[in-house]
Amino acid sequence: MISATNIWYKSNGTHLLQGIHFDTVPGDVMAVLGSNGAGKTTLLKCLSKELTPEKGEIRFRQKPLQQWKGAELAKHRAVLSQHYQVTLPFTVEQIVMMGRYPHFKNHPLPNDHAIVRESLVFAGIEHLQHRNYLTLSGGEQQRTQIARVLAQLWENNNEGKLLILDEPVSALDIQYQHHIMQLVRKLSLRNFTIIAVLHDLNLALQYCNKALLLKKGAQVAFGHTDIINRDLIKQVYEVESDLVYHAATHKNYIVITA
Amino acid sequence: MRYSLLVSILVILLIAAAVLSVGIGPLQLSPAQSIAVLLKPIGIQTGTDFTDQQETVVTAIRLPRVLFGMFIGGTLAMCGAAIQGLFRNPLADPALIGISSGAALFTVIMIVIGAALFQTLFNTLGSYVLSIAAFAGAFLTTVLIYKISQTGGKTIVSTMLLAGIAISAMAAAGTGIMTLVADDAQLRTITFWNLGSLGGATWTNVSVLVPLCLVCMTGLPALSKPLNALVLGETNASHLGINVERLKTQVVLLTALGIGVCVSMSGIIGFVGLVTPHIVRKLIGPEHRQVFITSGLLGATLLVFADLVCRTIVAPVEIPIGIATALIGGPFFLYLLLKERKTQIVF
Repeated sequence: MISATNIWYKSNGTHLLQGIHFDTVPGDVMAVLGSNGAGKTTLLKCLSKELTPEKGEIRFRQKPLQQWKGAELAKHRAVLSQHYQVTLPFTVEQIVMMGRYPHFKNHPLPNDHAIVRESLVFAGIEHLQHRNYLTLSGGEQQRTQIARVLAQLWENNNEGKLLILDEPVSALDIQYQHHIMQLVRKLSLRNFTIIAVLHDLNLALQYCNKALLLKKGAQVAFGHTDIINRDLIKQVYEVESDLVYHAATHKNYIVITA
Repeated sequence: MRYSLLVSILVILLIAAAVLSVGIGPLQLSPAQSIAVLLKPIGIQTGTDFTDQQETVVTAIRLPRVLFGMFIGGTLAMCGAAIQGLFRNPLADPALIGISSGAALFTVIMIVIGAALFQTLFNTLGSYVLSIAAFAGAFLTTVLIYKISQTGGKTIVSTMLLAGIAISAMAAAGTGIMTLVADDAQLRTITFWNLGSLGGATWTNVSVLVPLCLVCMTGLPALSKPLNALVLGETNASHLGINVERLKTQVVLLTALGIGVCVSMSGIIGFVGLVTPHIVRKLIGPEHRQVFITSGLLGATLLVFADLVCRTIVAPVEIPIGIATALIGGPFFLYLLLKERKTQIVF
């Protein structure tokens, strides 16, 4: 799907990324983990073609990312940011329709309207359809943006669609964090590939199947989320922790002890 | 309100404004006579009688003036909507942030100094020379204001407005220097430019104004989709496959052309670009294609009406239209500032 081979990126003489490797298959949810300044956002910017790595290759759907044209890439790759500074009173439906912009020329087709409706339903905000975006709560705004990136990628066959999420839940309360992450998991079941920067290790363990751990621009580990253990957490975040098994969900949770 | 309903209402209002405006003046025509005169060139007889004198007044004086009002009002309103889309802020107005002053300064320089330096150019190109000068002034000011007020892909509104004040002040100083070296005829022209007036409406000027305005008026709606996406921020718009740098260049060129040609023909007519899109957004929302079309129609209607009032209310004295739009638009802008201060959306 999308893979990186030995990615290096330098800015102002500092190596922000030093030899990043990973690969994904359709349906993967990959968490990018690391403390502040680890290079997570820089990596996402390289993956979304905002930045060009100085060395190494990123391949998206078998083709080097640098060979993708912006308009074509937008049909297969969407990016969700943490903050949106919308200043004009667009309705939720109009914002979600922007996701279809790469697909039609001047006027939306019936298919575009149908996809917008499906995306609204998927994100659970069909009741907000005609509301002014500026009057929504933070969680409702973020779900609108999720619906927008969904509309951007939605097709009958979602294989080969990449969704990049930059701290999608950091600004939200716990209830909405899980709402959004459950949406992410539902998308992976539909064969979307998802790459997300997360700060909460337990969200990563609960909702992701792969993890890429970074420290000061260097890759510490990449693999199934099973690889996350106390030694890795100590190495990446410099905190002591324990993994605790929760019988009802059959999952491990991380407890920070010091 | 539904978009198609608003468009129908505005078209009717615009036609009504045009018919009234060609009929009212020292020589009166009834609306039926006005319509009869206007339809005559396209070969339609309505059966209403009118005198030759009436026909001459309408076709030689009032019709070019109504066309002036329509195209200048429509273009200024659409350029206002475009500039607001580019700055992602509903308080940006071409006159307020100094674009019109920049255009006016370049026009005045061209009138005073250029006439002597480029005599042959003037003789061959006529009114186009002033339009080109105004375009250059508008373009440079827009680029300057944009560079000053943007940081990290966001508009700093206070910087944008303050930079507008500084640029307007500098342009006023430049214009002031020009008045020192100008002769009497040039002085009158300069005063006219600073106050704004549709008095320069001749068929020659109309033939320069209309094609250039049409480029702007058809070009801007074609940018609606990317301008909508720009509301998400530059980076997010680029993730939707939009070439943001190209979009900015296109908006700046088209608005500089529109504002430039309008300023070179009518001087600084402020607040049309601020008030009109604001009213329209209140009625049908912020979608740019709809905002462009309805702003164009409403701006045209407003300016034709305003001009009618300005030239008849204390006749035979004519109030410069820039004074009238400032009298209405100034308080409106204060109202917007107070409202935005409450909602905290803009600042």
